[in-house]
Amino acid sequence: MLPSGLPEVVGDAESLARFLRSSSYFNATNVKPVAFLPNPKEAMTTSVFRHEAEPRDRLLQIGREQIGSTANVHGAAICKAAVVREARLDVIPDEPPLLHANIVGWPVNAADERLQKAAQIERALVLVSKCTLVRFESKAP
Amino acid sequence: MTSIPPDYASLNAAVGDETAVSPEAETIRRSVSAAMESMQQSIALFGPKTSAVSEILAVAAEHGEADWNGEGADPVSMPAVDQARAFIFALPFGFPMPGVAPEPDGSISLDWIYSRSCMFSISVGASDRLALAWLDGTDQGHAVARFDGERIPPLILERIREAMGNAAVRAA
Repeated sequence: MLPSGLPEVVGDAESLARFLRSSSYFNATNVKPVAFLPNPKEAMTTSVFRHEAEPRDRLLQIGREQIGSTANVHGAAICKAAVVREARLDVIPDEPPLLHANIVGWPVNAADERLQKAAQIERALVLVSKCTLVRFESKAP
Repeated sequence: MTSIPPDYASLNAAVGDETAVSPEAETIRRSVSAAMESMQQSIALFGPKTSAVSEILAVAAEHGEADWNGEGADPVSMPAVDQARAFIFALPFGFPMPGVAPEPDGSISLDWIYSRSCMFSISVGASDRLALAWLDGTDQGHAVARFDGERIPPLILERIREAMGNAAVRAA
């Protein structure tokens, strides 16, 4: 059991929240694939939290606490862990902070960075096709 | 509706002044009228592209500092801005304009999203090689295409048509 009380394996039915740090990461109804692209400075992982869309207040609180004052949190993309695995990726717990996990397994192509990016966008498209957009009304103080 | 710049509003008033009757005044009136018509056509033609380029510049300005996402992101790079701007102006008339977003490595993402199951995305970086990927129902894939700054590769145009629906592209 992890410090958060969650199991050490992320179940397929668990919801994952990817906090949206730019208002450009979504349009009126859809999340854009760029929102899920991995961080090249964090071992090519995508940071998520094991939390569903509700309760909304708690979701927003987690976002603000984890993102801090360096960026605003504009919303969250919510998807099931099963969707991550359908996209031929995986999600593994990474606490602390509590509830934190990483989407891993992104395609890597050291010989061709642009082809690597294209392959990553393709996986991200699968994720956003099955995720739900949650918008936060207010910005972080 | 496309707004006309204030200078043209005053020109419009001048053109509409029917009290100028000398040959010189008539020549000027006709020249200004032709220029206005040409400008209005340009606004109508380039309007969507101008808006898209403005969006690129706004995204670059908003994400011009390092770590804008709290995860160590690079600022949007000017070469990426230049490439994205050239790409927009190279799009054939009638094509829908993409949404614009910053990427963590300083590239710019151009996205055509018709629905959750029909999307096309291009990553524009500093190089002339564009990373692209698409999802169209059960069909999905990715590729890299070279953009010389003037001509958009046919593969990309075809993917935009498919992502947005051929009818929508014709109507745009």
